[in-house]
Amino acid sequence: MIPSLDLLLALAFGNLGLMLLAGRNPTAGLLSMILYALQGWVLVMLMPALAEGAASGLAFQVFGWSLSWELNGLGWFFAIITVGAAFFSAWFAAGAWGVQGTRSPWAFHVTLAANVAAMLLLLASRDLLTLFIGWELVTWAGYAMMIQSGGPATRAAYKYLIYGVAGGLAVLAAVVLIQVQAGGLGFAAVAAWMPGISTGMLWALMLLLGVGFGIKMAFLPFHRWQAEAYGESPGPAAAFLGAISSRMGLFGLLILLVHFIGLARLDELLLPLIGLDARILWMWLSALTIIIPTFIALKQNDARMLLAWHGIGQGGYMLLGVLVGSELGVAGGLLHVFNYATYQAVLFLVMGAVVYRTGTAHLDRLGGLITRMPLSYVAMLFAIIGLAGLPPMNGFVSKWMVYKALLDEGLPLLFVAAVIGTLGTILSVFKLIHNVFLGQLRVEHEQIREVPFSMWGPMIALSLIVFITGYMPGLALDLVMVAQTSLGFAALDYHLGGFVTDTGNLNMLAVVSVLLLGMGIGAGIFLLGGNKSKRVHQLDNYAGGHFLTTEVRYHYSHHFYAGLLRLIGPWYITLIKRLEGGIAALTDTLAAGSDGLYRTAYTPILMLAATVLGLALVL
Amino acid sequence: MNELLSIGNLLYGGAAGLIVIGLFAVVARRHLIRVLLGVAVIEAGVNLMLVAAGFRPGAAAPIFDPQAISGPMVDPIPQALVLTAIVIGVAVLALGLTLAIRIHRQYGTLDTVALTRIVNAPAGSPESRAMMQRGGGGHES
Amino acid sequence: MNPEILIALPLLAAFLLPAARRIDASVGIWWGPLVVLANLVIAAMAWWKVQLIGPQSIALGGFAAPLGIELRADHLGLSAAVLLNLAVLLLWPRETPDKARVSTILLVLTGAGCGLAMSADLFNLYVFFELVAVATYGLAAANGKGEALIASLRYLILGALGSALALLGIALVYAKTGTLNLTELGGMSEALSGPAGIGALVLMVVGFGVKAELFPLNNWVPEVYAHTESRVSALMAGIISKLGILVLLRLIAEVFGGSPGLEFLLWVGVLGVVTGELAAYGAKDMRRVLAYSSIGQMGLVAVALALGGETGFIAALILMLNHLLVKPALFLIADAWPGSLKALAGKGRARPLGAVLFVLLALSLIGVPPLPGFWGKYLLLDAIFTNVTEGAGLLVGLILAATVVEAAYFFRIAARLFGSGEAAEESKIPGLPAVAALFVIAFLALSVQTGRVGDYLKEVVHGLQPQELRMAQSDFPDPAASVNGKGERL
Repeated sequence: MIPSLDLLLALAFGNLGLMLLAGRNPTAGLLSMILYALQGWVLVMLMPALAEGAASGLAFQVFGWSLSWELNGLGWFFAIITVGAAFFSAWFAAGAWGVQGTRSPWAFHVTLAANVAAMLLLLASRDLLTLFIGWELVTWAGYAMMIQSGGPATRAAYKYLIYGVAGGLAVLAAVVLIQVQAGGLGFAAVAAWMPGISTGMLWALMLLLGVGFGIKMAFLPFHRWQAEAYGESPGPAAAFLGAISSRMGLFGLLILLVHFIGLARLDELLLPLIGLDARILWMWLSALTIIIPTFIALKQNDARMLLAWHGIGQGGYMLLGVLVGSELGVAGGLLHVFNYATYQAVLFLVMGAVVYRTGTAHLDRLGGLITRMPLSYVAMLFAIIGLAGLPPMNGFVSKWMVYKALLDEGLPLLFVAAVIGTLGTILSVFKLIHNVFLGQLRVEHEQIREVPFSMWGPMIALSLIVFITGYMPGLALDLVMVAQTSLGFAALDYHLGGFVTDTGNLNMLAVVSVLLLGMGIGAGIFLLGGNKSKRVHQLDNYAGGHFLTTEVRYHYSHHFYAGLLRLIGPWYITLIKRLEGGIAALTDTLAAGSDGLYRTAYTPILMLAATVLGLALVL
Repeated sequence: MNELLSIGNLLYGGAAGLIVIGLFAVVARRHLIRVLLGVAVIEAGVNLMLVAAGFRPGAAAPIFDPQAISGPMVDPIPQALVLTAIVIGVAVLALGLTLAIRIHRQYGTLDTVALTRIVNAPAGSPESRAMMQRGGGGHES
Repeated sequence: MNPEILIALPLLAAFLLPAARRIDASVGIWWGPLVVLANLVIAAMAWWKVQLIGPQSIALGGFAAPLGIELRADHLGLSAAVLLNLAVLLLWPRETPDKARVSTILLVLTGAGCGLAMSADLFNLYVFFELVAVATYGLAAANGKGEALIASLRYLILGALGSALALLGIALVYAKTGTLNLTELGGMSEALSGPAGIGALVLMVVGFGVKAELFPLNNWVPEVYAHTESRVSALMAGIISKLGILVLLRLIAEVFGGSPGLEFLLWVGVLGVVTGELAAYGAKDMRRVLAYSSIGQMGLVAVALALGGETGFIAALILMLNHLLVKPALFLIADAWPGSLKALAGKGRARPLGAVLFVLLALSLIGVPPLPGFWGKYLLLDAIFTNVTEGAGLLVGLILAATVVEAAYFFRIAARLFGSGEAAEESKIPGLPAVAALFVIAFLALSVQTGRVGDYLKEVVHGLQPQELRMAQSDFPDPAASVNGKGERL
C-alpha cells in the first residue's frame, strides 16, 4: 500500500461500508479503530508530500465541471485531528458502551465513519465546488450523528439542521456567484481573482461565506444551535462532534479570510460610518464568541450542556489568534485547535462514562464520584486544567500564545476580552468537577464502579496527550507548522519546550519542571510532616457537631454561583433568542397564509388576477 | 363603410364581449353550473376571435374548387382550428357537467364555497365525517 | 417504426376498448397495460433511432409544414414519450371501480401525451394538451370518491378556463404571424416582440401553466393529490405536470427566447416556490405536503425556463427529471403511512428502509450534493447570476429561503418518523412498494450517472435550437407565397 490521498479516502469510505455491513457486530468498534489508525498512518506518511499537495486520482466530470481532490497542509492538519478524535471515540464505543450504553451501536459506528469520510472529503477539496459538496456532506453526516439516540436530541438536531441548511445555502449562493464572476472555482484561481473585485462584491461574498462557515462554527450571532445539538448527543458522539466538527467552519473561514481575501485586504475594508476595518470586526466577533457562550455555560445545570457551551467559546480563541496575523498568533490559534480537540474529547468522554454509570449528567444529581471513578476523575482533572488554560496542560500554551500575540500587536482590549473569557471558563470548570466528582456522594451512587478499560483507556490516553503536549508543545507545533506554512504565514521559531520570539519566549519544559518541583515539595511536607488524615466512609459525615443522615444534603451544587449570576444575569442577551422565535412565528404565519391561499374557493379569480397583473407587468 | 364599424372590428368586439361576460360568470358566481356555462361562453368568445383572425373582407369561403376560385379566400386554417376547439370544448363541458351531476347527487349542493370546505377538510375531521354520512358510501377514512 | 404510431396506437386502442370488452370482460384489465407496453417498446425504438440518425421531422398526412401538421421526433420529444409510457405503465391505478374506463383514460393520456411531446405545431400542441387535460380530469375522479369528484371538477374549471386563455394566446400568435408552425415561428421572433406577442406568451403561460402547477393556477394541486389514489397523484405530479412544462419549454426555446413576457413566468415561478414551500410547511397531512412540495419544485423549473439559455434549460430539465423520479417514489412510500403528520411518530423505526429512502429522496428535492437535485439548483443559481442583471440577489434569496423552509418541513417529518411512537402496528406497515423501489433505483442511477445524463441533456437542449432544424429543411415553401401569408392583422 502506497500512502496516497486515494488510499486515505478508500480507507475512510471502506470503513463506512464496513460499518454499514458489520456495525452490529461486537468487534465493529475494534475494526473501525484499526481503520482509523490506518488512516492516521496514511496521513503521517503523506506529510512529506504536502508541500506540492497530495492529489487524488479520483475525478468526475459533471456538467462541464471536473471534480477532483487534493490535500494540502491546512487540510492535513485538520484531518489528523479528525482521524484522531474518531479513533478515540471509536475506542470508547468499542467495548461495554457499544453494548449497553447506546440504543444502536450500528448507528454510532456508521455515523462516525460517515462523518470522518465526509470531513476528509471536505478537507481535501481543491475548489469551491468540492468544498461545497464536502460541506453539505459534513452537515448531513453531523445531523445523522445527532439524531441517532432519538429523544430530545432530535429537537436539538432539528435546530442544527435549520441553521446548517441556511448556512450551506449561503455558501452555495457565494460559490455560484464566484463561479459566474470569476469563471473558475479552483482555490488558486479564486484567490487570484479576489484582489480585482469591487468592495461591494467583496462584502457580499464575505457576508455569504462568513455566515455559512460561521454558522458551522457557532460564531456569534449564530451560536444558539450548537450547545444543545452537541450536548444531547450520546457520549463518544458528543466527544467527536465537540472536538472537531465545528472546526470545519474554522477551516472554511481560514480559506476565506486568509487565503482568498488576505488579512491585508481585510484591513482596507472599512465599515461604513463606524470606521472599523473588517479584521477588527472579525476579531471582536471572535472575542464576543469567547465571552458570551462561556458565561452562558456558567448557568448550565447539565454537564454536557456546560461543556458544549464552552466549546463554542473556545472557537473564538482560534480565529482570534489567526487573525492577529503574526507568526505567534497564527501558531497559537491553530495550536488551540489541536489542544482544544484533545481536552474537549476527554471531557465529553468522561461525562459519557458518568452517564453510562449513573444515568444522568445533571449537575444537581451528582457528586462525590471521585472515590468510585478515580480514573475518570483524573482524566477530567487534566482536561479541565487544559480547558481553563492553566499550566502544565496544553491549553495554557496555546492561550498564552494568543494572549502574547495580542499584546505584541498592540491590541490590549481584545486581550482583556480573552482573559475575561478565561475567567468564566475557570469558574465553570470548577463547578463541573466539583459537582460531579467532589463533595458528597449520593446514596444511590454508592455501588458505582469505575468504567471498564474500553472506556477509561481513551480518556486516560487523551488526557496524557493533554499533559504531554503541554509539557512539550513542540510535538504539537510540528503539526501546526504544516498548516501555518500552507496558509502562507512564516513559521514560528519553536522547539520542543516552546517558542522563541523577539519579545520573549516560553519554555514549558522549565515551567512544568518548576511546577512539579513545587508540588513535590508540598507533597513531601504533607507526607513527611505527619499526615494526620483519617479515612472515613464517604457517607459518614457530620457538621456542626451533628451526624448527618444521608437525606441531608450539604453538598452545595444547586444554584452554583448564585451571587455572581444575580450580578451578571441582566447582561444575558436574549435578542438572538427573540429573533429566532420571531422568524419561526413569521414562517408559521406565512405558511398558514400560503396554505389558505391554496384553499380559496374562487380559484378563477386568482387566475384572472395573475393574467391581468402579468400582462400589466410585461406590457 | 365606416372604418370603425368594419366587420373585422365587430367580430373582435363581439369576441371580447363574450369573453368578458364569461369571465364575470366564472369569477362572480358560486354555483358551479353557472361557472361551467361561463367557461363555455368564454370559449365561444375565443373561437370567434380565432375565426376573426382568419377573416378577410370580401373573400370567398375556402372550399377547394378549381372552377370557382378567382379572388382571395378566407384563411382556412383558423376555421379548421375552431372546429377542433369547439369539439374539445363540448367534450370538456360534458365531462364537467357529468362530474357536477355526480357531486350534486352525493352532496346535494354545487355551491363552490361549501364544496371547497369539504375537499379541504382534514382527513377524519368532523366536517368530512358529517359529509361522508350524508353522502353515503364511497368513502374511506 | 414511425413515431406517429406512438400517438395512433393508444388512441385507437382507447376507442376500440369499449367494443372489445363486450366480447370479453377481462379485456378491460389487460388491454390497457399491454398496449402501453407495446407503445413503450415502440417509443424506445424510436428514441434509439434518434440517437443513431438524429432528429427528424415528420409531416402528417402528406402535407409539408407549414400547411400540414408537423411532428418532430427529436431528443426531447422521444425522451418524454419514453418516460411517459414508462410512468403510466408503472403507475397504473389500482383502486378503481371500473378498470376498463380507467384503461381508456390512460390510453388517451398516453397517446395524447406522446403527441404533445412531439408536436411542432402550436395548434397541435393545444389539441393534444386538451386531450391530456381531459384524461387528467377523468383520472383525478377515477376512484369515484366524493372529494375526488369535487377536486376534479374544480380542476376542470381551472383547466378549461386556462385552455381558453391559451387558445386566445394562440389566436394572437396566428393573427400576428399567420402561422402556427414552431419552426416557422422561430424565424419570426421580431413579429412577436410587440405587445401582442408578449401578451400571447403570457396567456399561453397561464393556460399551459395550469397543468404545470404554476402559481396561482395550481389550487387544484393539493385538492386533487390529497384525494386520489397515491399512484394517480404520483403519475400526475411525476409526469403529467412535466408535459405542461414541456409545451412551455418548446415555446420558449424555439419562439419566445428573450421575450419580455418571460419576466411573468419568472415571477410566477418564484411565487410558486415561495408559496408552495411555505404552504407545505403549514400543511398537516402528508399528501398535501407532497403536493405543495411539487408546486415548489415546478416553480423552480419555471424560473429556470424563464431564464433560458443553455444553463437555464439544462437546469429545468435536470430539475424535472429529478422531480419525476423522486415525487412518485415519495407518494408511494408515504402511502404506507397514515395520512396525518401527527400519526407518523415512530413509523420509520418499525420498517426503516422506506423511511431512510424517503429522507434520501427528500434530500435530493432540497438540493443536497451530490444528488441530482443539487445540480439542478446549482445550475439554476448559475443561470440567475448569469442572466439577471437587477434583483439577482432578491431572487436567489427568495429561492434559498424557500429551500430552508423545504428542509424544515421535510426534516420535521423525518424527525417524527424516527422519533418515539407506539410500535404496536409494526406488522401492519408494509415495506417498500416494488414500484417505489424501481423509481428509487432509477433515481440512484441518475445520481451516479449525473455527468453522463448531463451530457445528454445538453444534446437535448441543443436539439431545441431552432436554426438547426430549419437548415436541415430548407425546402420549406416561402411563407409569403402561401395562402395565409397575409402579414399583420391586429
